[in-house]
Amino acid sequence: MSQHATVVTTAPEPKLWAGGRSPYNVSYGKMMMWFFLLSDALTFGALLISYGTTRFFSTVWPDANQVFKSFPFMGEHDLPLLFVSLMTFILIMSSVTMVLAVHAGHYGDKKNVAKWLLWTIIGGICFLSCQAWEWTHLHSEGGWWGSFLDVNTPVKEFAHFFNAHKTAHVLATQPALAMQSTHLFFNYFFTITGFHGGHVTSGVIFNILILVNTVNGVYERRGHYEMVEKIGLYWHFVDLVWVFVFTCFYLL
Amino acid sequence: MSGHHNSNSIQHLYEGDQSKLYSGVLAHHSDVNSEESKKQVGRIWKIFWFLLVITIVEVVMGMMFSHQMPRAVANFIFLALTLVKAGYIVAVFMHLGDEFKGFKVTVLIPLVLFIWFIIAFLADGGFWLRMNNESPSRTHVTSAPANPNEY
Repeated sequence: MSQHATVVTTAPEPKLWAGGRSPYNVSYGKMMMWFFLLSDALTFGALLISYGTTRFFSTVWPDANQVFKSFPFMGEHDLPLLFVSLMTFILIMSSVTMVLAVHAGHYGDKKNVAKWLLWTIIGGICFLSCQAWEWTHLHSEGGWWGSFLDVNTPVKEFAHFFNAHKTAHVLATQPALAMQSTHLFFNYFFTITGFHGGHVTSGVIFNILILVNTVNGVYERRGHYEMVEKIGLYWHFVDLVWVFVFTCFYLL
Repeated sequence: MSGHHNSNSIQHLYEGDQSKLYSGVLAHHSDVNSEESKKQVGRIWKIFWFLLVITIVEVVMGMMFSHQMPRAVANFIFLALTLVKAGYIVAVFMHLGDEFKGFKVTVLIPLVLFIWFIIAFLADGGFWLRMNNESPSRTHVTSAPANPNEY
C-alpha cells in the first residue's frame, strides 16, 4: 500500500496536489466561502431536523394554513400562504439580481455591478420588512419565544392555530397537548426564521459594503470583482436556506 | 457556462497571486454585449422563471390540494420540488455546476450526512410519539388517550 502511494507521489507530471497549485481552479477565498456555507448548511439542517423531530413526536401540530393566513391591510380575509409566497418571490428575485451583478463583474462592467447590487439590497430590505411584519403579527396573536406555557391558558387562545376539523378531538379532550405544540411551534418558528433573518441582515450589510467598494472603484483598480462573487455565494445560500424553511414551515 | 474555469493553459495563474485568476483569465471577457454574455443572462432569467413556476405550483398545492390527497404523497411532492429548486440555485446561481468535478464532490459529499441525520431523528420522533400515546401513565394525566391518527 505504502509502496503504491510512493509511486503516485513521485510521478513527475503534473504535480497537481504537491502544493503551490490550485487543483480545483478555485481561489482560496472562494473555496473557503464554500466551506463556510457547508458548515452553515449543517447548522440550519440541525435546526430544521430538530423541528421535524419535535413535530413527529407531537400528537397534534399547528396548521400552517391557519397560522399564516394574514396579509397586511387585508384584515380578516383568509389568505393562507399568500404573504409568505410574496416573501419567497422577493428573495428569489434578489437572488437573480445578485447573479446578474456577479455576471456583470465577470465582464468588469462597473455600472451594471452597482445597479444590480443596489436592486439586491432593495430586495433584501423588502424581505426583512415583510419578516418584521409577520413577526409583529404573530406576536400580536400571542406567539413568541416561551409563549403558551401556562396550563391555565384558555383553549380559545390557541385553538385557532389548528385545523379545527382534524384536531377537534384532541382540543376537546387534551388541550394541554395542543398548547404544548403551539409553544414548541413558536419557539422553532422564531428561532429558525430569526437565524435566517440574521443571515439576510448580514447579507444586506455585506452587499452595501461591496456596493460602496464598487462605486469607489476598488474592484476596478484590483482588476477583478471576485468579492462580488464571494458575497454572491453567501446571498444565494441565504435564498437556498429560505427554500427549505419555506417547505418545512409553510408546506409540510 | 464559464469555459475559462476549465482551461489548463491558465493553471500557472493560480500559482502565487490569485487575483490574476480574475484579471488574467477574464481578459477575453471584455464585451458585456457579446453573444456569450447575452446567452448567460438569458439562462439566468430562464432559471428564474423556472423557480417561480415551481414555487407557484407548491403554493397552489399547499392552499388547495394538499388536504385532499394523502399527506405522505403531498409531502413527497413538496420535498421533491424543494430539492429541484435547491439544485438549480446551487448549480446555476452559485455556479457550482461550472466548477471542476473534484470540487463539486468535495462540497457535496459532506451533505450525505443529512440522509442519516434525517432518518435517525425522524425515527426517534416517531418512537416518542408511540411511547407517549401507549404509555399507561399518560391516561392518568389526561381524560382520554390521544388518537395517533389525528395529526
